[in-house]
Amino acid sequence: MSTTAVAQRLKEIWETPDSIWGKFATVDHKEIGIRYLITAFVLMCIGGVEALCLRVQLARPDMLIMPPEMYDQLFSMHGITMIFFYAYPILAGFSNYLIPLMIGSRDMAYPRLNAFTYWSFLFSAILMYIAPLMGQGPHAGWFSYAPYTLYRYSPGHGMDFYAMALIFFMISLTAGGINFITTILKMRAPGMSINKMPLMCYSTLTISFAGLFAAPALIACCVFLELDRRWGTHFFSVAGGGNPVLWQQLFWFFGHPWVYIIFLPATAMVSMIIPVFSRRPIVGYSYVAVSTMLTGVVGFSVWLHHMFTVGMSDMTMSFFSAGSMMISLFTIVQIVCWVVTMWKGRLVTTTAMHYAMATIAVLIVGGLNGVVTGIIPVDWQAHNTYFVVGHIHYVLIGGNMFPVFAGLYYWYPKMTGRMLSEKLGKVSFWVMFLGFNVGFFPMQIVGLLGMPRRIYTYPSGMGWAAMNYIETVGAFVLAGGILLSVINFIVSRKSGRIAGRNPWNADTLEWALDSPPEPYSMVHFPTVATRHPLWDQHDEEDDPDNMRVLDGGRLTYITSWLDAEVVSVAKMPEETLAPMLLALMMFLFFLALAFQLVIWACGGFGATLLVAFYWLWPRKKGEEAL
Amino acid sequence: MNHSVPINRSSKLVALDLPLDDTRGIWAMWMVVATEATLFICFFGAYFYLENNKDRWAYNHPPAEHWGWGMLAAILLSALTIWLGDRAVMRRSYGHARALLALTLLLGVGYLIMQGFDFAGHWATLTPYSNSYGSIFYVIESFDALHAIVGVLILAYVLALPHYAPARRAPYRPYRVAAIYWYFVATIWIAIFCLLYIIPNLRVYGF
Ligand code: HEM
Repeated sequence: MSTTAVAQRLKEIWETPDSIWGKFATVDHKEIGIRYLITAFVLMCIGGVEALCLRVQLARPDMLIMPPEMYDQLFSMHGITMIFFYAYPILAGFSNYLIPLMIGSRDMAYPRLNAFTYWSFLFSAILMYIAPLMGQGPHAGWFSYAPYTLYRYSPGHGMDFYAMALIFFMISLTAGGINFITTILKMRAPGMSINKMPLMCYSTLTISFAGLFAAPALIACCVFLELDRRWGTHFFSVAGGGNPVLWQQLFWFFGHPWVYIIFLPATAMVSMIIPVFSRRPIVGYSYVAVSTMLTGVVGFSVWLHHMFTVGMSDMTMSFFSAGSMMISLFTIVQIVCWVVTMWKGRLVTTTAMHYAMATIAVLIVGGLNGVVTGIIPVDWQAHNTYFVVGHIHYVLIGGNMFPVFAGLYYWYPKMTGRMLSEKLGKVSFWVMFLGFNVGFFPMQIVGLLGMPRRIYTYPSGMGWAAMNYIETVGAFVLAGGILLSVINFIVSRKSGRIAGRNPWNADTLEWALDSPPEPYSMVHFPTVATRHPLWDQHDEEDDPDNMRVLDGGRLTYITSWLDAEVVSVAKMPEETLAPMLLALMMFLFFLALAFQLVIWACGGFGATLLVAFYWLWPRKKGEEAL
Repeated sequence: MNHSVPINRSSKLVALDLPLDDTRGIWAMWMVVATEATLFICFFGAYFYLENNKDRWAYNHPPAEHWGWGMLAAILLSALTIWLGDRAVMRRSYGHARALLALTLLLGVGYLIMQGFDFAGHWATLTPYSNSYGSIFYVIESFDALHAIVGVLILAYVLALPHYAPARRAPYRPYRVAAIYWYFVATIWIAIFCLLYIIPNLRVYGF
């Protein structure tokens, strides 16, 4: 068979039918990845608009554009949206789209579970937004400390929705983690042994494991919260023998690994982009890989540094302070590797590279004042001030938003087949970079001057007014910069230059495919001999006798986890509505629980199980499910 | 150039030359077990954390153990039967496998019934509303019961499947996957029984 005939056959096998049913039933990781990216980006814009409202309210002293309760709900929804529903899902979108292509597989290990992961993420975000639309949003910040969240102090449904939506979202996260782990460990192209896989795989693997062990802590404390609020138990209320600090322990046992979950894949994207635009392999591949994994592991032993002001023994504090210092070393290792790579290479200053370099700069500022707040006496001073708001935005925008934009500019041509405008991109970059620093640097100063965080206004005469005004202007400039990029994304979709397969002359396998890739990704499974397949003298796709095609159905290779030797062939599922239905039933279940409708909740639970069994029931003869 | 891929067949039949993968479902179940176990570890952590600085905890009135022993016996026996059933599948004696699975299911239902009596027994002296000890005690118990119920449903589902196949034949292996989940349910009960029942009772006798 000629290659075109084979390609035609593969296309028939893998293509999702172009119908409404197909849209809801698709299990194609490329489609799901792009949906993740778009959904998370939209949520980021919503969270951004909320933040702009906050900044308007704070622009001048003694303003009363919104009542305090509304301010509380807005900053809480802003934090929750950004931390949970933007920062992780956008990275999951990149990983979902890219990892199978990078490792030379035709899909993720569990394509239907992948679809479920997306739908449950979407529905949990919708669930979270039902509460503020009822005018009863959560109002206790993104980490919702007890006992303020108990029913007595927080009546209304806000905190119920917070608890239910986060449990739902954690289920989505766990399913996604399981999928990434199996995909990365079992589905790499023949020859891509574990020390040859792209760095993005290391970070995704690390955060997937971290998610498996961190998510249960959040689920546990949300269960306790809901029971305390509505069902009369005593986990957090001191009167019944409970302990409000239990919330903090569990929440931060989850929360600190979470910070790395939303940070490590972003740094990995920088590790993918910098070498390409420095025109050389990354310096210290193994160091970057190992420090990524160590960050994930040590990330589980620093949670108490969020609680230095709670009161604990000196020994405990010193231990956790030391842990926090140590973990910054791993980030420094990565930064040093990036800088040396650029130093030794020949820079190509594309827009993506601009964002990547800005990541380094901003991360160093954010990291440095993080080290400062890791020092206990300083933390006692800075805790709960705007200094912390400045710090989190330097790390989160430096460690997540700039890398995400770098990734968007870098992989957009692969996803759409069109180049973005570099000129508009650079303008957008400089506006964002400027706006960001103008908007957030002064926060650290007003923080040290004593301005607390989470206040809806402040009196004049405190000496904070000018700086707050500048911050608001900066925030709007930043938003303007983002808007320019959005225009760029929309316009270039139709009118951008045709990208071709490898516009950046990059080294990883996804760039060997068409842009955008065909539904079957590649005709011939590649074989990999080095870390930089497309830069070395090795023809991955060379397969004149069509031996590595697998066109007998939806098939892909399973390889051994260490050396990536072919061990078997995996049969991949067809399109199905079951994942969406399952997520929908769970949505109903959690919605009913948020309103304490027990009968409905039982119905939702039963329906969830029924759909699960329908999903798993063998369709064809000789095929068992699960 | 490196073409060391061990495939030597023409295109369409390549798939038949290699075995079909039957390990992904098992991997997924192990990871589900890992994350679920972490959930219980968090619960136990909360139990001991809440116990801190309390003068009155379980030790004055430790939970009665008698139903617990029965549950332990049932769950251990059921873990054994499903393990034997899994081996029967590997030998392709599907009739045996099905019988052992039915037995496991019965033992699982027995476990749940005893748990109901156990629950009712505790309820006479302790409720989730009594104090923080009651709250965490019943949360742990209920989550255990929930896992056992789901486990029983999974077993019933596998029993209803039209046919089984040993590893290295069919793409998926529901029997093994259900067994792994059931071992987990058993392990959790062992942990709960030791931590929440036996230790407090031992302390009453001054250990
Ligand atoms: C569009 C640019 C952004 C602006 C103008 C902005 C502004 C703000 C403001 C004004 C606050 C409230 C401070 C207070 O009153 O205590 C805040 C809090 C916060 N922001 Fe942002 N932010 C932006 C982007 C982000 C991003 C990208 C993230 C995360 C990925 C993020 C995460 C947070 C968190 C976690 C909080 C704390 C919420 C709480 O106190 O519970 N922000 N931000």
